[in-house]
Amino acid sequence: MEEQNYPDGEADALWLAGMFRELPPVPVTPALQARVLASFDAVTERRRTGLRGLLRRLGETVWPGAPAWQPAAVLAASLAIGIAAGTFVPVEQALADGAEQPGVVALDALPNFDLGENS
Amino acid sequence: MIDPDTDLVARAGQGDRAAAQALMARHLPKMLTLARRMLGDAAEAEDAVQETFLKLWTHASRWQPGKAKFETWLYRVTMNKCYDRLRRRSTAKLDEAAEVADPALPADRLLENAGVASEIEKALADLPERQRAAILLCHHQECGNIEAAEILGISVEALESLLARGRRTLRARLGHLKNE
Repeated sequence: MEEQNYPDGEADALWLAGMFRELPPVPVTPALQARVLASFDAVTERRRTGLRGLLRRLGETVWPGAPAWQPAAVLAASLAIGIAAGTFVPVEQALADGAEQPGVVALDALPNFDLGENS
Repeated sequence: MIDPDTDLVARAGQGDRAAAQALMARHLPKMLTLARRMLGDAAEAEDAVQETFLKLWTHASRWQPGKAKFETWLYRVTMNKCYDRLRRRSTAKLDEAAEVADPALPADRLLENAGVASEIEKALADLPERQRAAILLCHHQECGNIEAAEILGISVEALESLLARGRRTLRARLGHLKNE
């Protein structure tokens, strides 16, 4: 390659580009392609059968077509509401609201079993 | 700028084999060439590229478009795989082992070794790792300086310094080839 009026760096770059054209292309072998695709299949299979895959499929069943965060967010919100209600609503109020009475069991009383002895 | 790979990566992340094949067809030859020139060994280059793609398949479902250009990320992973191998090689002193293995090379490889290409490859292999990486990315893979600097995790100024030193060394080593 003849020397020309380029600055040093640019001349070196042009010279190097010419040099690299001398290098033969690196062939991609079918074996390598097969190995790379096999690794894709292995990762996909692992993802499908692993815990994450199970959760994804569960999400798909509960809410088809939605991204994973939507069913997760709804579940988290309902859980938060339940915990908040359990924590902040007083027991007396919760019991008073219902018709049921709490059962009282005396733990020190004798057991009173009727096994048919008196009949 | 729209990354042309974004859609393919998302689909591959969902298990779409055709998208994985398309990604492979687009990038495998370039990655393999880079790894081959960095490592100077065909088998090791193939292993490095396979590991790169394995990482891609594992991370594809979590790929966030817009954070970095996909190809830049892929080059960076390939480079890191090459650095790992070079480091392992130097600790295991495999250079000597490779010299011992030379007489067993197949005839076509020996012929190739005698050519201009092998002289260029040898000169490249003798460059320090970072200079070789900079030269290959900018002159062989035709990355821009900004992208190459990003791939190597250095500033553009540092990249330009590596390039200048690498070019000078190569020209001194290989100057006679073009003067013939």
